[in-house]
Amino acid sequence: METLLKLNKFTISYKTQKGTLEAATDVSFELKEGETLAVVGESGCGKSSLAKGIMRLFPRNIEKVLGEIYVDGEEVLSIKEDEFRKKIRWSKISMVFQGAMNSLNPVLKVVYQVAEPLIVHLNMDKTSAYNRAKEILNLVGISESFAERYPFELSGGMKQRVIIAMALITNPKIVILDEPTSALDVITQANIMNLLKILKKELNLSYIFITHDIATTSELADKIAVMYAGELVEISPAEIFYTNPAHGYTMMLLDSVPTLKTDKKLKSIPGSPPSLISPPQGCRFHPRCQYVMDICKEKEPPIFQKGENHYAKCYLGESHE
Amino acid sequence: MNNNETLLKVEDLKVWFEIRKSVVSQPMYVKAVDGISFDLKKGESISLVGESGSGKTTLGRTLLRLYKATGGKIFFEEQDITNLDSTDLKWYRKETGFVQQDPFGALPSHFTIYRTLEEPLIINKIGTPEERKNLIFNALEEVKLTPVIDFIQKYPHMLSGGQMQRVVIARALIMRPKLVIADEPVSMLDASVRIEILELLKELQERHQMSLIYITHDLATVRAFSNWIFIMYAGNLVEKAQTKELLQNPLHPYTKALLSAIPDPDPENRKKLRDIPPGEPPNLVELPQGCRFHPRCANVMDICKKEEPKDIEVKNNHWVKCWLFQEG
Repeated sequence: METLLKLNKFTISYKTQKGTLEAATDVSFELKEGETLAVVGESGCGKSSLAKGIMRLFPRNIEKVLGEIYVDGEEVLSIKEDEFRKKIRWSKISMVFQGAMNSLNPVLKVVYQVAEPLIVHLNMDKTSAYNRAKEILNLVGISESFAERYPFELSGGMKQRVIIAMALITNPKIVILDEPTSALDVITQANIMNLLKILKKELNLSYIFITHDIATTSELADKIAVMYAGELVEISPAEIFYTNPAHGYTMMLLDSVPTLKTDKKLKSIPGSPPSLISPPQGCRFHPRCQYVMDICKEKEPPIFQKGENHYAKCYLGESHE
Repeated sequence: MNNNETLLKVEDLKVWFEIRKSVVSQPMYVKAVDGISFDLKKGESISLVGESGSGKTTLGRTLLRLYKATGGKIFFEEQDITNLDSTDLKWYRKETGFVQQDPFGALPSHFTIYRTLEEPLIINKIGTPEERKNLIFNALEEVKLTPVIDFIQKYPHMLSGGQMQRVVIARALIMRPKLVIADEPVSMLDASVRIEILELLKELQERHQMSLIYITHDLATVRAFSNWIFIMYAGNLVEKAQTKELLQNPLHPYTKALLSAIPDPDPENRKKLRDIPPGEPPNLVELPQGCRFHPRCANVMDICKKEEPKDIEVKNNHWVKCWLFQEG
């Protein structure tokens, strides 16, 4: 499989009144064709910043962006904004934003909202753009009669399908899904997950799936990256992630997931995530970690290889002086 | 206290909201709660599970008498409270506590935590200022906001979501109510905090022998939480059973669908599609004839489209509202 996207030491920091806030620190990973990477973490861990960062959508108070992003082997973080907009954003990487279903324009028919990028950016004529939009809407399960309706006439699940259609209309290879089901009911959520699975297969898409819900990651992810306080602390294939986690945070996170079918004692993680303006010394998770050792408090752990394609930033199970 | 005593009895409760397209047109009704009956014993807890729009919040608010019922009866300790007006309801407010969904909106932003918790005590004319202070300190200690002295002078915006929800719980319990209704108390909180807040709520409920109605859309969190699970769909309770029984032996097709929609973390999940009924819950204004679930049901029969099923006690303490289990 070909590597589609590669991040190397990607770092984003924001200017705030209290000082510099590093939302993502030295994030590196690879995404192969047809693969899904899930990024999990608590709110405020930097997972949405990372997603928007890959799209080069930075807020106004951005201070610095470091590292490299390769799309199809080409470095795109340093190219001009104009070039990035034409060549990469939406045409190669698109995104389903968190809560976007509530941001549909209430006075425009959904088919127009889906077709708009074709008309505005690609200068397509209206009829063929509409036809293409209807095709895509049909693909996500919205029939022609609903395409001509306004957002208020659609249910939550249908609106989310429209948003997914918007992300697909430009034929991207990579789709970033930022909490695509978080505001939906369980059954609707499962339906959207089914849709994403079908689309992935039919269009050979790669997903970056951002969520705080570990149970839903198992619905899509081929590999899972765990983020804590701006850092990628563990990345492992799905087969290993749920049964053999290596990082203290991942272990405690998995212990806090309620399950329906098994009887287990749930444990929560004490405390709350640290401030990203002045993260703790050593391992950023050490003040909350139940497996904490002396070295964790002093020295930041490097990234250890724990197995095949399995990396974690944790001293657990490693020999050290 | 006799634990088998019934605290709350609800009979055929209906809450309809009127909507009109114009002044002269015929009124239409949103049937948010449509014919619900159940009993809640002292010290017991119920999880009320349903999708959004199923009427579970309306039911909760009506039980608190924040909404007025359109029909049916609510008895609290054998007193009919269905139609009491606000002055007669003052005692009832003392007996009930409410934990709202959104802690960010539930706390007045211009009150300190101390003032927020003192408010119900002042309104109910409880204690001297000194005694009130003790009560407030106790309440905050109970919800584990310690050291208390660091928190009382803070304003809500200075707290995290989990801490705010603890204050909301402390406020709901400070009058030692007999009935607490928690409406999605953790849905706005981070996954790692959820379990903590739910366990706190459960611990306090058991310690003070309160009855609790926990409203949620997330079946995964109810397993270790309540005695009973009620499943709500389109204004009806479609299945009622004790927690273990319902999770092990779901009967209603809708309950089965809900259960199968919840993933357990398993890497095999990604390789297959889930078997889920299509579509979404019906519009509460134009409900389908017969069983409300029939347009989405895989086991639909002719009778389901014509006649509404009745509540049937299939076995001891397990009720289901489905034609599959009725005779004739």
